[in-house]
Formats: sequence, structure tokens, C-alpha cells
Amino acid sequence: MLTAPPRSGRINSGSINSVWIKAAQAALLAIAVCFSLGASDSGSRIDSLGHRLMCTCGCAQLLGECDHYGCPSRSDELATLSSAIASGQSDQQIMDSFAAKYGVTVLAAPRTQGFDLVAWIAPFAVFAAALLGTILLVRRWSGKPDAQAATPVSRDTSLSPQERERLEQIRRETGAEGGL
Amino acid sequence: MTETEGLIAGLLLLFALVVYTFWPENAFASQKEKTRLDFLLERKEQLYENLRDLNFEHRAGKYPEEDFQTQRALLEKETADLLAEIDRLQQA
Amino acid sequence: MAALGSFALLIALALAAYNLLAGTIALRLIATGTPARISPERLADTARRAGIAGFYAVTAAAFALVWSAFANDFSITYIVEHSNRALPAPYKFAALWSGQEGSLLLWAWLLGTYGFVLRLRHKTDVKLYAYAGTILAGIQVFFLLILNFAAPPFALLKGTIPDDGNGLNPLLQYPEMVIHPPMLYLGYVGFSVPFAFALGALMMRYPGEKWIHITRAWTMATWLFLTCGIFLGMRWAYAVLGWGGYWGWDPVENASFMPWLTGTAFLHSVMMQERRGMMKSWNVWLIFSTFLLTMLGTLLTRAGLVSSVHAFAQSSIGTWFYVFMGIVLAICIFTYIYQRGHLKTEHHLESLVSRESSFLFNNLVLLTACFVILWGTLFPILSEYVQGTKVTVGAPFYNRVAIPIGLFLLFLTGVGPLLPWRATSFKSIRRNFVLPVIALWATVIVCLAVGVRPWVNGAFSSGNFYALVAFAVGVAVFVAVLSEFLRGAHVIARQTGRNLLSATWLLTRRNTRRYGGYIVHIGVVVVVLGLAGSAFNRNVESEMGVHDAMHIGPYTLECTGFTQDSNANYDSEYAILNVTKGGKTLFQMTPEKRAYHLGGGDQPQTMVAIHSVPMWDLYVVYEGMNPDTGQPIIKAFLNPLVGWIWAGLVIMVLGTLIALAPSLSPATAALRVPVARQVAPEVALKGGD
Repeated sequence: MLTAPPRSGRINSGSINSVWIKAAQAALLAIAVCFSLGASDSGSRIDSLGHRLMCTCGCAQLLGECDHYGCPSRSDELATLSSAIASGQSDQQIMDSFAAKYGVTVLAAPRTQGFDLVAWIAPFAVFAAALLGTILLVRRWSGKPDAQAATPVSRDTSLSPQERERLEQIRRETGAEGGL
Repeated sequence: MTETEGLIAGLLLLFALVVYTFWPENAFASQKEKTRLDFLLERKEQLYENLRDLNFEHRAGKYPEEDFQTQRALLEKETADLLAEIDRLQQA
Repeated sequence: MAALGSFALLIALALAAYNLLAGTIALRLIATGTPARISPERLADTARRAGIAGFYAVTAAAFALVWSAFANDFSITYIVEHSNRALPAPYKFAALWSGQEGSLLLWAWLLGTYGFVLRLRHKTDVKLYAYAGTILAGIQVFFLLILNFAAPPFALLKGTIPDDGNGLNPLLQYPEMVIHPPMLYLGYVGFSVPFAFALGALMMRYPGEKWIHITRAWTMATWLFLTCGIFLGMRWAYAVLGWGGYWGWDPVENASFMPWLTGTAFLHSVMMQERRGMMKSWNVWLIFSTFLLTMLGTLLTRAGLVSSVHAFAQSSIGTWFYVFMGIVLAICIFTYIYQRGHLKTEHHLESLVSRESSFLFNNLVLLTACFVILWGTLFPILSEYVQGTKVTVGAPFYNRVAIPIGLFLLFLTGVGPLLPWRATSFKSIRRNFVLPVIALWATVIVCLAVGVRPWVNGAFSSGNFYALVAFAVGVAVFVAVLSEFLRGAHVIARQTGRNLLSATWLLTRRNTRRYGGYIVHIGVVVVVLGLAGSAFNRNVESEMGVHDAMHIGPYTLECTGFTQDSNANYDSEYAILNVTKGGKTLFQMTPEKRAYHLGGGDQPQTMVAIHSVPMWDLYVVYEGMNPDTGQPIIKAFLNPLVGWIWAGLVIMVLGTLIALAPSLSPATAALRVPVARQVAPEVALKGGD
């Protein structure tokens, strides 16, 4: 009986930190390399549409990311998708035909019409309302400044000796004169 | 562990925990009400902290002189009033 | 052991109920000053001790369940369903939380543990702790009621006792999975403590803000656990689910993220209350909501309200949770209305350009993010109710709505630290923004130069655009936070004559919470850079026979063979791939497919091979055989900067640990100043208690 072979990810995890700094410089370069690995046009359309559709087998994954072995729906959906792309349909047409064939739950995000539009509007509406509320709140607050008692207290004006002593004490104890 | 042994262990546990809970203990901590003075001393600590911070940030260049003077005056006034009340309470 | 476990749970329920009842009566008697035959303080102390005793009882129950798993006691239904003889020991522990009954027991045990520590430390403030302890007991009663009557973990199997169990869900047989759920639960349960303190402080009209100081460590530790739990979950999804990503906006992931967002908002805005007595009502509601969201999270995970890959065990305990959340909400609203006079703000905001207002905006953004996620999670239910059809709210929705919000938040993590407390004018701190802004534009230029452009093949790509913005803002935030450290260190260096490095150290120790917090911000930046890397993910998939090769990025993967293995727990097949770069052999990767004998059905599990360097992860999945050709299918991903996400987590953990450490008192800090430059040491000592 054999045990599972060690996996490379674990072996190398220790050495990651040692090259961390050097890699920071190389990171941008790396992204550039990745970026230059362009995908073919129809391939990238399958990819982008595959990320806007769900796998319908119940795995709750995006079609483009569904990975489980022997998935009953993935290959069927992908075949539909590639034939639709080959027949020259627009993205919108493809999405509509998928919704018709598999039901609206195949669309990974709500549509932008009818009640579904509410899903998209609400977050921005709430953000706008909250922003407005915050700004109004700030304005109301700054309208009534904290202290009408904004009379500067200084050492030489009309303070009783006791008050002056207290002020000195505060200044000493809070490092006003350059302590920490 | 058989069911009987389990039940015996459970009964032992029950007994021990009930004894622990209801042991007549006279040294329990009393719930003393926080006095005004305690509260003021806490406030003083916080105001001191705010003042220290203000002074430090000023030295780090985060307040223009004018703002700093106003802010410090406000905080110092608040603190001085607080100290006065503390003094009054402590003398009383 | 089943008998002991059930018995212990019953004892725990009785003790928690006594704690709740006696505690409530005692506190009521004390509050109203009603004379009673027994001293209410004595009564309150027995309530407290009942809480401690309850912890022992729940511990006994948890121990009994783990023991039964190790002893392969298949007379218990739960053990049959979640364990088997061949299961490796660490995963037998995991059996404790792999099913519903067990994870509720874990909840109760963790709550008991938090309560145990809290009740032992009650001398800090006896009355406040009595309130908090009684409220915790109320929560504990709820969980123990479920454990005793709705989801008993020690239910015995009817009929003949099988020889072996059904085994643990193979998805859970992964090392991260042994720590991820307890971490997440520590985070979920932990928010009960600040919740109990906040509610208790409100009920007793606690004078002052000291309770925030008392709960600070609890809140931060809880936040840390929740953060670690979420990241470990991401790590698990990345390494086990095998789709090349780590965050799928699954309802259960969302459920853990929502209390994190409100908890983070609370950690920030509570500082305004502590320092200046502002935002009291707001903070109370933030922590109330956080607690309710942790309940919702448990409900979503456990009661199957929404479909999710996570719902490992579902049943009808939903109703219990709805009722409990309803009761909690009612108590919160009632207490708030009854005591709201106590929450009057002492100060107002002086200026838009201040730390306070940056916290306001931070809260605004965090809560909007939380709303978006709650909305997206619950919209399918709403849609079904309104238009009769369920819709899917998946990753494309969240990516479009949440990423801009996240970037705005990232921007604020840099702006906040630059603004001082109280009022100031923007003019005065303008120069503090110069360096970050330069860094921002320099990053944009460098990114454009090396090819990170917001368009692909002439078309605008939002993913790339967001990545560019994330890189630029991330670097700017990093520079802003760093400059904040240097500004403070300069002051200390000037005053003490230390070098900049040791001045930075002293600066951090003087105010661990602030500078630890800044380090957390740096960690967040590193995480965001890692997340932004996903805009440039690439993958290839192809059938590979022996000696076939596949190219991805600079790497060439050559297949040198396929092997099979078998052990008592599973059979596995894996590919052996030699990875070369420029003709030089670098390393070997062995992506694997496992078929567990038990618990997994026919579904084989992926074991992804990951080679991680700072630049990217080479991530290889063995997808299985093509049934038509008999050839194995290999899918390889090149995921840029994923390692940064985990590195960022480490920085966030370090920052939080620093923030948790006590600050040097001003007195000690003053003693570290060389004598010649020291100012009035005796006074500094006096002032620094």
C-alpha cells in the first residue's frame, strides 16, 4: 500500500518567503507576461460567456468554472454555447436562448429588465441614499459646533491661580512641552 | 463505556457541578455602583490620551498652528473643568 | 458515552437556564432595590458559577462526541454518518463539526469557553460582567435547547449497529478543513461577547465608555478569528474545489463575509465613541447587527435557506433560528427605545477633513458592501416571492457591484490614517498627500508601460481596468501608511536621538492599537494586490498522453506517466508532470484524483497540485479520463499573485496581534528617553497610569 506522493505545492511553500522581496520587483513584469498570453477570439467568447452562465447540474458553479468529474450538464451546455457562437449569434441572443432552454436560473446574474432590474438598482440606490444621509449628517453636525466655549485658554489671561495651576498640570502630564 | 456507566458518570458530573454552583461562598465580589468620581477619572484618562495624541500629531506636522491652538484650548478647557470637579469630589 | 453526552447536555441546559433566570432576577432586584430574602449579589454569584459549571458540562458533552468518534461507536447515528474506521485521526476531530448536530455542539462549546473566561475575569467590573454573563447565558440556552430537543448529537441508531460508518465527506478531508470551521466559528461565536457587553451596558445605563475598552481585546481577537476563518476557507476552496479560484460568492461565503464587514465597521467607529463619546446609537446597532448576521450565517450554513455547495447538513432547525433571531431583535429594539436617552452624543463632528469623518465614510462603504451581499444572497428568495421565478445572483453580479465599492474602501484605508482626529483644514495636510499621489500616478504609468492596460484587443475590459486601479491605489495606500509611520518615527527620533528604525519600534509600542491597525491596512493592500492579479488568470486544458506536453506562460508541462495508488481510505490516480522552463527542468507536479471508499458516493475528489511563487501560482488539475479516447485530461492555470493573498493575511494577523498587545504606558515610554532629554520624569510617571 502506497501513500500519496508529496505534492509540489507543499514542498515549496517554505521557500516562498525567502524570495518574496525579489519577487515584488518582478511581479509587474510577470503580469505583463501573463497579459501577453492572448486567447483566441472564439475561445475567449466561450470563456467570457461561460462566466456569465451557470452550470445547471446543481453544483452552483459558473459554467466556465464547473470542474467536477462527469458533470451531466456541462458538456451539453458547452456544446450549445459553441454551436451558438459558431452560428454567429450575438451575446444577448445566446443568453436569451439559454434562458429559454434551461430556465432563467442559468443566467449567472439577474437581467437588466423587469423586476430583475431592482437587483441592480438597489445597491446603488442604497449607496446614494447613505452617502446623502452621511453628508447631511456631517453638515448638520458642523452647523452646531461643539463648543461655544471656544474661548482659548491661555496662561496669561484672567485665570485664577488654581485654574492656571491645573492648566500647567495638564500640559506637563500630557507632554505638551516636548516629552513623549 | 456502557449506558449504566455513562449515567453514573453523568450523575457524578451533575453532583459536582451542583455543589460547585451552590457552595455557600461568602467571599463573592460585590456589585459596587460606579461612582461619579470613578467615571470622571476614566474620562480624565481618555482626555489626557486625546491631548497627548493631539500634541504628538501636531509635532508630526498634521495640524496647522492655528487649528492646533484651538483644538488644544478646547480639550484643555474640557480637561480643566473635569479636574476641577475631581478636586471638588476628592475634597468632599 | 452517548448516555454521558446526552446527560451532560441536559445538565448544561439546566445550568444555563439557571444562570439566565437567577442572573435576571438578581440584576432586576439590584436595579430596583427591592428587598429580598436572599442577597441579590449572592444570587448573582451563583448564576455566574452556574455559567462556569455549564462550561464544564458542555465540555463533557463535546468530549463524549469526540471520544465516540475515536472509539468508532457506531451506535450513535451522528458517528455513523460522519466517520468510519479508516478515517485518519485529525479528521475524526473534524467529525465534531462536519455535521449539523456536531457543529451546533461546537458553537455551544465555544460560547461556553468564551463565557468561562469572561466569568472568571468578572472582577474587572462585577456588575457589567454580570449583565454580559446573563445575556451570554440566554444565547447558550437557545443553543442547548436545539441540542437537547431538535438536533441531538447523541441520538442512537435504530436497528442493528453497523460495522463501519459512512465516512466523512471527502471534501472535508483536507488539512485546512480541520482548522477552517473552528476558526470561523470562533469568529462567529466571539461576536456574542461584544454584543453581550453592548446590550448589557445599555440595559444598566453604564456610565462612560470604559466597557468598550474592556471588550476591545475580545472584539479584536474575534475579528482575527473570523478573518483567519474566511481566508482558510478561501484557501480550502482554492486547493480542494479545483476550479482555480478561491472566492465564488457562494451564499455561505457571503454569510461569513457579512458579519466581517459590520464587525470591521464596528472596530473603527467604536473608536469615535471611546475617544469622543460620539456615534453611540450607531455603534450599538452595528454590534447588534453583527451578532444577528452571525446568527443568519449559522442559519444559512445549517438550515439550507439558499442553495450552496456548503450546505453539508441541512434540516428543519431553521424555525428555531427565526424565532431566536426574532426574540433577539425584539429585545434589542425594546432596550434601545427604552434606554436611548442614555446614548446621547457628547460631541459633534467639527470638520469634513478629520479622522472622524473618514470613519463615517468607512462605515458607509462597509455597510453598503454588507447590504449588497445580503441583497444578492436574499434576492433569489425575493424574486421567487414577487415574480414567481427564482433567479441566480452569482459572481458576475457581485463582481460588478462589489468591486467598485471595494476599491473605494481601499482608497479610504489610505486616506484615513493621513487625517488627524478632530478638525483640520485640508490645506494644512495637503503635503501629506503629495507622496501617495505621486506613487499612484507612477504606478499607473509603470503598469501601462509593462502592459497592464484597461483594454484587451482594443475593447475595454473592466477586469483589467479594476486591476489597474487596484494596483495604483494599493501602492498609494502603502506609501501613505508608510509615510505615517515615518512621520511619527521622526518625531520620536528627534526627541530621543534614536535611529529611525528603533524610533519606529518605539512608536509602534507606544500606540499598539493605532500602528498595529496600520499594519493591518498594509496587509489589506497586499491582499487586494493578490486579488487584482486574478484579472490576468490564464488556463489551458488538454488531453495528455505520456510524453505529451502543454505550455502555459513560461512553463512547459511534460507528462511522464500516470500511476495509481490505494489505501484503506481511498484509491487515487495521479499524473506525473515534469515542469520545465527554457529547457531547464524545474520541478515535478502530481495532480491527483481520489475516489474515497466511503462518504463520497461516486464522485471522485480533486487534489490540485500547486506550485506557488510570489509571481504566480502554477495550478494543475487532473480532471480524469476522457471516456471516449481513454486519455487523461489535464487543466493548468497560471494565477498571478495568488500567494500575495496568503502573505497579506499573515501581515494582517501580525498587525492584529500587535494591536492586541498592550501599549507602553506614557510613563514607561518616558523612561526610555535618555535622561538628559527627559522632561519631568516624576510628573510623566504620575500621568501615565
